[in-house]
Amino acid sequence: MLKRKRITQSILWMAILLLVSCVKDVDFDQAENFTLTPVAAASIVYTSVEASRFSENGIELETVTDTIRDIELFSDDFVLDHLVKAELIFESTNTINRTFGLQIDFLSESDEQLHTFSFDAAPSLTGDEVITTHTEVFEDASLEALKMTKNMVITLHLYPSSDGSILDENSIGSIALKSRGNFYFNVSL
Amino acid sequence: MVAKKLIIIAMLLMAQYSFTQNKQLLFGFNDIPQSVMINPSTTLDNNWFVGFPLLSHLHANFGASGMSAFDLFADDGRDFNTKVQNLVLRLDDNDFFTTTQQLDIFSGGFAFGRGVEKDRYLSFGMYVETDVVAYHPKDYAILALEGNAAHINRVFDLSDLNARGEAVSVLHVGVTKKMNKKLTIGARGKIYSSVFNVRSTRNRGSFITQEGQNNLLRHTFDLDLSVNTSGINSLTDDDTSDLSDDIKTIRKRMFFGGNLGLGIDLGFTYEASDQLTYEASLLDIGFIRHTKDIENYRVKGTYVYEGINPIFTEIADDQTAEDYWNEVADNFEDLFEVDTTRSKYTTWRPLKFNAAVRYKFGKKNTEDCNCLSKDGDYINAVGAQLYAIKRPKSPQLALTAFYYRRLFQGLNLKATYTVDSFSYKNVGLGISTQIGALNMFLLADNLLEYQNLAKAQSASLQFGINFIFGRSKN
Repeated sequence: MLKRKRITQSILWMAILLLVSCVKDVDFDQAENFTLTPVAAASIVYTSVEASRFSENGIELETVTDTIRDIELFSDDFVLDHLVKAELIFESTNTINRTFGLQIDFLSESDEQLHTFSFDAAPSLTGDEVITTHTEVFEDASLEALKMTKNMVITLHLYPSSDGSILDENSIGSIALKSRGNFYFNVSL
Repeated sequence: MVAKKLIIIAMLLMAQYSFTQNKQLLFGFNDIPQSVMINPSTTLDNNWFVGFPLLSHLHANFGASGMSAFDLFADDGRDFNTKVQNLVLRLDDNDFFTTTQQLDIFSGGFAFGRGVEKDRYLSFGMYVETDVVAYHPKDYAILALEGNAAHINRVFDLSDLNARGEAVSVLHVGVTKKMNKKLTIGARGKIYSSVFNVRSTRNRGSFITQEGQNNLLRHTFDLDLSVNTSGINSLTDDDTSDLSDDIKTIRKRMFFGGNLGLGIDLGFTYEASDQLTYEASLLDIGFIRHTKDIENYRVKGTYVYEGINPIFTEIADDQTAEDYWNEVADNFEDLFEVDTTRSKYTTWRPLKFNAAVRYKFGKKNTEDCNCLSKDGDYINAVGAQLYAIKRPKSPQLALTAFYYRRLFQGLNLKATYTVDSFSYKNVGLGISTQIGALNMFLLADNLLEYQNLAKAQSASLQFGINFIFGRSKN
């Protein structure tokens, strides 16, 4: 009988040990505040145009333009829901002794202009590379415009030279454009 | 559709934390019939036993190397996102989460053989086991938390995704045979029936963002990712989403309607003297062949992307930027296109190895008790034990020192001190009681953490009820 009592006691102690175990000082509700805030860096467009190509049959072209149509990226569901800010960084490298105006237009599906910006690429007086950088930040209204963008138009304006000279087939140098975007996301789980 | 399935698979994997399968408390504890499952050469000291149906052995265990729930959920006022970020960075890609559960459906055994001292023991039963191991997908987590903008030139290693999970039911029969005075050997055959299996352990590839040549950035994708699943597709199928149907399906698979496999356990016990014993076992040398209800996913390809290069149509009317854009979009679609196949595959069971040395001492004082002391009936044992389990990246090891004591008739204790991937101070305690034919046992480890389990990196608990008849030494 004594033995049985001791066995019972031992089991009780073991049970008590397991029962008093607990999970203290923790708050599992914290997980509700969990958000992911990644910043994605992505290449966008790039191009390089030789000076000679601004001349056609001896006449200087004032503007060249191209359109990128049916862009799905900005209206993707994930982007619509979670993109909170975007920066588009453009860098021009000019070795032509002329000033260029670079203009980017953001258009809706029906080609209505939603947003535009432009900057000037300074001339290269010596033929060395002249680098100009422009950062366009999209927040609030401009971000909404970006999310509705379906078409983009890139225009190169060649400003008249101060001395009246024009670019011809033999002109040297080029104007190059590079770009990247930083896309700020906020995803609440 | 595919995405939904992948999410369900991920949830199945993550819903269960991880467990080690180390049963250091049960190993060699031959007062408990289920100890023969850890080493088929363990000699059970009875004529026959039968397990209480569904309650003869329940084992549950979880582990997370390098972290505890407290690291994340401590009510310390710190920002949760910061804590997640710190944790993701602190853990490396060899840290892992594991969970194992094992439940006996039925079990039993009896001694047989020549002579009065029967030299063989047959044990049998059926149990259901789930086993999950998932490594910390570090580089994926950093991409999700921070993105690539702050990590130019960093190589994101896509092999960091490495996880495996399965539920199987196992029908087994084992024989223990005493070869001579010193050597006892044992073997156990197993038939596995897989309820479900998910495997993504062979991922390769990288993603890197560098400074570009033509553009400011260049992105290089090199992907070779795959997931094998069996038994998941029919459960997650929308047409058969009725829960009761799913339960029926699972029940059928437990009773050998699933993907089948074969395996064997081997073990030996060598009693060098009446006090010194060596023993070792290899468990689950086996495989499962997955032929039914399979769905495999694979993403493979390489692509270098620098952006879109518009060609100004007023100058040269070749390809427009639009064409170029479409081509880029097509390339991305090809890159991330998921191939779904139904090809059969084979998985190996997680192989486990145990080895121990045991030294018995301290005979029972006959003055204290005149009822059961016999020659060689030592009441203490100390020893050391090594455990290893094969895991996808590298084996997990554990080293245990133990002390066993027969307190008095019908009450035996085992205490363990274990060093493993989770802890350097894992103290465990096991107790086995015998009242008449009724045997009950309760084994728990990581007791030092029981005052606040949230701080524990691992814990395991086992208990069971058996009826044991004819203890030969009583």
